[in-house]
Amino acid sequence: MPDIRLDAITRRFGQQVAVDNLSMTFDEWTVTCLLGPSGCGKTTLMRMIAGLETPTSGRIFFGEREVTHLPPRKRNIGMVFQYPVMYPTLTVRENIALPLDNNAGLDAKTCQARIDEVLNILQLGAVANRYIDQLDAGTRQKVAVARAVARQTDIILFDEPTTNVEVNAKLQLVRAFKEVAQRMRQTIIYVTHDQTEAMTLADQIALMRSGAIVQCDKPRALYNHPTTEFGGWFLGSPGMNFITAAVKGGRIEAPLFPAPIAAPSGIAEGEITLGLRPEALRLQAAPGAGTVPAVIEDISITIGGRYLFRLGIGGISVKVKHAGGAVSGLEMRRGATAHLECPPAQIAFFLKGQRVAAAAG
Amino acid sequence: MQSNRSGSPASRGLLAAMHPTGQAGLTARFFALLNDRRFLPLMLLTPVLVFFIIWNTIPLLWLLGLSFQKYSLTSGDDPAFTGFANYLEILGNSSVWQDLSRTFVWVFLSVVLQTGLGVALGFLFWGSHKLPGRRIALTLLFAPMVLTPVATGTFFRLIYDPTFGILNQVIRAIGLPSVDFLGQSSTAFWAVLAVDTWMWTPFLMLMTLAALGSVPKAELEAAEVDQLPWHQRLRLIILHHGKFILMLGVLLRTIDSFKTMDLVLQMTKGGPGSTTNLVALTLYRQSFESFNLGWSSALAVILLLISIAFTSIFIFVLNLKRRGDAA
Repeated sequence: MPDIRLDAITRRFGQQVAVDNLSMTFDEWTVTCLLGPSGCGKTTLMRMIAGLETPTSGRIFFGEREVTHLPPRKRNIGMVFQYPVMYPTLTVRENIALPLDNNAGLDAKTCQARIDEVLNILQLGAVANRYIDQLDAGTRQKVAVARAVARQTDIILFDEPTTNVEVNAKLQLVRAFKEVAQRMRQTIIYVTHDQTEAMTLADQIALMRSGAIVQCDKPRALYNHPTTEFGGWFLGSPGMNFITAAVKGGRIEAPLFPAPIAAPSGIAEGEITLGLRPEALRLQAAPGAGTVPAVIEDISITIGGRYLFRLGIGGISVKVKHAGGAVSGLEMRRGATAHLECPPAQIAFFLKGQRVAAAAG
Repeated sequence: MQSNRSGSPASRGLLAAMHPTGQAGLTARFFALLNDRRFLPLMLLTPVLVFFIIWNTIPLLWLLGLSFQKYSLTSGDDPAFTGFANYLEILGNSSVWQDLSRTFVWVFLSVVLQTGLGVALGFLFWGSHKLPGRRIALTLLFAPMVLTPVATGTFFRLIYDPTFGILNQVIRAIGLPSVDFLGQSSTAFWAVLAVDTWMWTPFLMLMTLAALGSVPKAELEAAEVDQLPWHQRLRLIILHHGKFILMLGVLLRTIDSFKTMDLVLQMTKGGPGSTTNLVALTLYRQSFESFNLGWSSALAVILLLISIAFTSIFIFVLNLKRRGDAA
């Protein structure tokens, strides 16, 4: 049972707490991405799973086996590092073969078959007999992946493997990871700060912040239903708009709505934060039902050709990502007036950073 | 199109811009020369070259010239050209051959001992980042290296002293007869070698630490995760990255060890008999005690050639290895 269970793991570096009392189970044969901004503790967490760091307190289990204090070599894991590691003076094929040769239980034929298989999956056949200094960073990283995969360990860890790879090679690498993950039955943990990568690869994403896992869910669910303001802000490009609004008598009044909308049940008075995905807001040239007038403050274009608007409405500013090309009939310039619709069903409500259930109806 | 020697403004450079070529005269010419791409490197090198020629090349040529002459300050005769007579005399001199072979044994033993101990200590300190007192221990270990050999020699002569030296007091305390370490031919060589090792092991430890510091951490971590046995980690990763610095350390120590003179002079003056007489000491005595300038110059040239041979062998080996890696 190669699942990975973390039991109240804490890791301190002097005064700083890198991982804070974290408990979590990574199910067998799943790909989990640890996603979060720099310094959130995701790499430290992975290094503790690998055995390259020891937790200050707490325990780590691989299946039923406790591994908390075992050195990496006794944990039987594969790992791909941020810096593409190839053993120098060896060819690509020799690099992949090296850890296999040390495995007494394997005969030469099985070794060769495994090597050929990973060379094939990662499309490394053409460079199999090359040396390290003849390869670019992307290919070296693929070799590192091949070496980890060929050992067929139950667990493979990836520590931001695309960081030192150029953009074009990055896409190819991520595709290769996906292929590997689908072919091999392994429990994979993948650390990244790149949400696109996490979205592409993961069965589930564990979103981390300040040494804790904020939310762990399937990529789509994480995107659609962030449980915290941080989740809404961190995922998405750009992240959610957050607007603080007053609640009066169970109704929310904000410049975004032509008429007050229902507040979540149980909240009658006070302040609430509304989270709005830029892609959920609709923009049109003419006024319509549910729209409010807004002034275009800025227009830019995003990857994928979508327009990103910044609009000013009654003293607040919101980002709107408009699907398709230009808005028909709209004057695409700063200072022009557009009409914005904010569908109440698409709003996420947050109180003190935590999500609260939307109003019924 | 007419070609213009001063070139376009863009090619004239900063200094030319500061000193318009319109001004005739020496200064302008000088700056024009500075701006010429062919002369600039040469002019930048000039100060170093001047010093190198004055302090290095001229003395070397002088030495070479002296080595072909019969020239003794004590005889009162004028120097006389004798061709290869000095060289032939040295090559036929059995005492020089004895000194040379003793020196080779000295170099071999000191380099092997110091490299072995230095590398071992280097690995020990490399693996002990968290040990308390590591910094103090390192500082203490480096201390011998910064002492002058004369001070070290004096200091150890006191330690080795047969009557009041601390070493013999310890020996007597455990009930053994005292030993005149520097005064008897069976122990003198080893006693001096021990001091040389005490002095220079830290240097190789330092080089080992530098070599180990150049090994990428990620490769070692990958090897650990990949379950590579220690000998593969040593060969494929540690030696691969560290060997150049380590070999450089061994080379420097070899050349330096070949020149050992001050320590021996201070401790034993080459004795008893000639048991600790290294060839550099012979050279010193012939030139500064017997004033046989011609003869000792010839010996100096021979020693220089031997040093060059050492260096060439090391460089050749290193280059071979490098070429092997690139293949």
